[in-house]
Amino acid sequence: MLWVDKYRPKTLDKVIVHQDVAQNLQKLVSEGDCPHLLFYGPSGSGKKTLIMALLRQIFGPSADKVKVENKIWKVDVSFSLNFFFFSFRMQAGTRTIDVELTTLSSTHHVELNPSDAGFQDRYVVQEIIKEMAKNRPIDTKGKKGFKVLVLNEVDKLSREAQHSLRRTMEKYSASCRLILCSNSSSKVTEAVRSRCLNVRINAPMEEEIVNVLEFIAKKEGLQIPQGFAARIAEKSNRNLRRAVLTFEACRVQQYPFTNNQAIPPMDWEQYVSEIASDIMKEQSPKRLFEVRGKLYELLTNCIPPEIILKRLLFELLKKLDSELKHEVSNWAAHYEHRMRLGQKSIFHLEAFVAKFMSIYKSFLVSTFG
Amino acid sequence: MAPVMQTSQPWVEKYRPKQVKDVAHQDEVVRVLTNTLETSNCPHMLFYGPPGTGKTTTALAIAHQLFGPELYKSRVLELNASDDRGINVVRTKIKNFAAVAVGSNRHGGYPCPPFKIIILDEADSMTQDAQNALRRTMETYSKVTRFFFICNYISRIIEPLASRCAKFRFKPLTEEIMGSRILHICKEEGLNLDSEALSTLSSISQGDLRRAITFLQSAARLFGSSISAKDLISVSGVIPNEVVQAIFSACRSGNFDLANKEVNNVIAEGYPVSQMLSQLYDIVIDADDISDEQKARICKKFAEADKCLVDGADEYLQLLNVASSTMQALSNMPQDMAF
Amino acid sequence: MDGRSNVLLVAGPSGVGKTATIHAIALHLGVTIWEWTTPTPTVWPEHLHNSNSGLQYISKLDEFEGFVERVRKYGLTSPMLKGSQASVILLVDDLPVVNGRDVYGRLQRCLTLLVQLVRIPTAIVITNYDKDDSADLSTRCWEELLVSLYSAGACKVNFNPVTVNSIKKTLTTICRKEQREVDAGSIELIAKASGGDVRHAINSLQYLCLKPHRRPILPSKERLDNVRCMDDVFSLPFGKDETLSLFHALGKFLHNKRESEHTIASVRDTFLLKEKFVRFPLKMDAPEVVLCQAHGQARTLSEFLHENVLDFLSEEAIDDAWLVASYLSDADFLLSSLNGHLSRDFGAENIIQSAAASVAARGVLFGNAHPVPSRWHAIRRPKLWEVEQSSRRNKCQMFSQRSDLYNSLTITDQIVMATEFRPSLKWLGFRASESFQADGMVEDSTCLHENKLDLSDDEIEDW
Repeated sequence: MLWVDKYRPKTLDKVIVHQDVAQNLQKLVSEGDCPHLLFYGPSGSGKKTLIMALLRQIFGPSADKVKVENKIWKVDVSFSLNFFFFSFRMQAGTRTIDVELTTLSSTHHVELNPSDAGFQDRYVVQEIIKEMAKNRPIDTKGKKGFKVLVLNEVDKLSREAQHSLRRTMEKYSASCRLILCSNSSSKVTEAVRSRCLNVRINAPMEEEIVNVLEFIAKKEGLQIPQGFAARIAEKSNRNLRRAVLTFEACRVQQYPFTNNQAIPPMDWEQYVSEIASDIMKEQSPKRLFEVRGKLYELLTNCIPPEIILKRLLFELLKKLDSELKHEVSNWAAHYEHRMRLGQKSIFHLEAFVAKFMSIYKSFLVSTFG
Repeated sequence: MAPVMQTSQPWVEKYRPKQVKDVAHQDEVVRVLTNTLETSNCPHMLFYGPPGTGKTTTALAIAHQLFGPELYKSRVLELNASDDRGINVVRTKIKNFAAVAVGSNRHGGYPCPPFKIIILDEADSMTQDAQNALRRTMETYSKVTRFFFICNYISRIIEPLASRCAKFRFKPLTEEIMGSRILHICKEEGLNLDSEALSTLSSISQGDLRRAITFLQSAARLFGSSISAKDLISVSGVIPNEVVQAIFSACRSGNFDLANKEVNNVIAEGYPVSQMLSQLYDIVIDADDISDEQKARICKKFAEADKCLVDGADEYLQLLNVASSTMQALSNMPQDMAF
Repeated sequence: MDGRSNVLLVAGPSGVGKTATIHAIALHLGVTIWEWTTPTPTVWPEHLHNSNSGLQYISKLDEFEGFVERVRKYGLTSPMLKGSQASVILLVDDLPVVNGRDVYGRLQRCLTLLVQLVRIPTAIVITNYDKDDSADLSTRCWEELLVSLYSAGACKVNFNPVTVNSIKKTLTTICRKEQREVDAGSIELIAKASGGDVRHAINSLQYLCLKPHRRPILPSKERLDNVRCMDDVFSLPFGKDETLSLFHALGKFLHNKRESEHTIASVRDTFLLKEKFVRFPLKMDAPEVVLCQAHGQARTLSEFLHENVLDFLSEEAIDDAWLVASYLSDADFLLSSLNGHLSRDFGAENIIQSAAASVAARGVLFGNAHPVPSRWHAIRRPKLWEVEQSSRRNKCQMFSQRSDLYNSLTITDQIVMATEFRPSLKWLGFRASESFQADGMVEDSTCLHENKLDLSDDEIEDW
């Protein structure tokens, strides 16, 4: 088992970071009143951990007995067809579509990533909630309990799906509670946000990460030299999950730790930084073509294009003169937006690289002649 | 064993005024409508204004006062935007409802005029087609039904519909009115709210009473009965002023790396960037030492970034771009981004 | 048939003689061919009419299902064979066209059933349409179908496109038999234009012979060598010209032939442009006209341009590279702007398509301000297609690993999987991460397409 999972706090009183939030959640549950919840915060800040701990708090240890299911949901969709040679639209009734989704469920809760379903996400959410509401657990007093649906990556749900979500939230509020989890609350519509209790989970500070790493080291019986944990924390960019993963990688790589031990980077980040130095070294269509090949390789490995772009910007900014930084960040924002609207992300990534090369070259020419 | 949840009623519902005359702050509207109630005759109505100013409350109150609790179910149809509201729904649901004739007999001390009421909440989110379809329906059943449209933006209601209705504009609530309402709720719920928290609440809810009450309830749930201004801010998703100021002063400093660090911090803290933009906007507009031209440049950038965010662009890059452009505008650097 | 099933899958592009081969074999063995014939397709108005009169519409797929069911239950018995005792080959030529996952699933079940159950020799002919665009759902479906049938026990034979030489030979033979005088140049032209499709070539030949006195618009030998100037060839009435003229258009746009000076003197007086925006007049028709001949496949066009344009820029011109890239980005933006509208507006889509195509084409023409002097370049097939395919495959793999690899209590986001877990697992030396080798994946998929790749290169070189 990975350390990330092994040392994930199981209960609300055991959490190390976000103790204040945990206390509040505990209070919330102890009053027996649980509204819909929306957890938001950057990746690796501990949203999931808190959610799991919260479920355990509500339902007891049975929340841990989860099973993973790959289920195919049959969903009836009413759709309209466009017969273009007739140039009128008609309601062509309903058809059934299959949506395949991985769910993780215990007797009391179901967790899923609705955005895995692509543009059929909205049907899925409704359908699953309906089914959950149907087979609710019944407690000893013969009263119907409620179930919790954990929806991940709500920010990636389409607007329609979010819209239908708010209706569902009201309709089934007696039988199930929703816990939504999202990286940014800007992308969750106001209507959904206002129906939930919003809980912001900030990324842990570096000191907090150091605390966690030291805690793990103690449990594992490892000696860590002074300042080593701090270096990992600094590299992790305030992402706790990453810090723990890196820590474990360090452990496998070399133990006992030495103070100047290299901290293994994520391979794709390494790769992006190579791309950045390629770009800085030469600016020509030929080099652009080579860069394209490397970008392709990153894309092949499912690294999301916007993350590539952000990382590339980060690497480039490190090496730039400050007068260029404005312009470069401006173009990065421009092309990332384009990428979001377009389909072929490589076109936009490449346009950014080309623009950077062009800016940088004219800068070099004007400075050094 | 699954614990049983007592579903607590949202305070917004719990403290919704039941009588038209109790509706806060909308004096003219209340005057006209009280008159309507006395004569128990009313035209189609269109309520518009910013959210949380009492439009839905008023509509529901009228319906209740006209029909009383017993007849309410059979005489009033509420449709809100979350329902599937295509043309078909409008046609069938409304037709079915309106088609049954009603008599006029006073019932339990309520006027019970001989018509039914259809309340269409969030009417501005209806499609144009649906609105057009409604036009016919309104005429066909005009004898037996009255429509109450509720919307935020009157400009999104097609003209033929709007012209068939008596229009009522709802004003944003002032701080005093909100304050008295909030204090009333606090008294009922046994909450402690100091004056600082109260004014914070009024300012973060921006004249929207429903939001204010929702914030209050959320805060009460999380933090118990004594609530401070800080608690309210954390519940509302408003970004603390220090954070916004930090970004802004980084922009003033003209140091790109400093601004970049602040932007990173905002993202790591998980603050929503759209919210950040609107708070930055307030600061920029209020600043005395920024020239109009600079303000214009900055605000243009805000607008662009906001649009990009709506399209789903990355929050970090957009905020960084805004910060860098603001910096450029403040130090009067020439604008680049020329094609 | 060494333990495998009695079914032979015959796959290949159209017009390479799949069905003909089966017939020839049957003739040779002296067996009867019994062919599953499809019902006449029902057109929509007819359907409306029928449903009024109570007739039930039966889709082709339904019929096919029924047929397989019959085979399963009764085998192929007398009523079908009309009592003939001779051995038979069952031939399924015209598979129902399917669209969408669920229908496709039905077809697949049907065929698998057939493969497993049928006891007499059976040939299923599958025509690969348009294998180019691998992003297309239906293409992927067909590939999957082939694989699944193969694993169900069917034997598979792949037909490659017929070479130019063999087509030439065939055509010459036909000419001799029909006693027609057709000169070698025309035959060569037809053979090359047919794209490996014999049927098409023969049809063209017949068409040509209908007008005995009209020589085909014959390009002279030296013009043949210089493809890009050879507009006329593509107006040949019998050219199987879809892809070729796309290449032709690409060639025009990429090579960017221009006059060496302004031909119209008065340009300056009428409209003053900054120097950096001035370009010499084009030595070709308006790009839109060229696009018209290329059947305006905007998406394909922009992808091809994107893949190849960098080769045609001069060494130093990084500004040009950006300009081109920005226009291609615009084109992609346009092409995507109608996406997500479920009820499609065909008119609007057409306009957007052609607008995007012309943005891409003109962008490339305008952006490439310093074209390199003309030299030989092979036009590559967009690598993007393979990248997308293997990225999709990796994603699926990741999803399937997700659940069994980490016995964690939550589901991990895909992004987190890709950017954090997989790299770390590699450090931790988990076996599961071996699939990470990007190069391996890409190479793998290139192999799959190598045939096709060579083919398109050949075509260009031939020209």
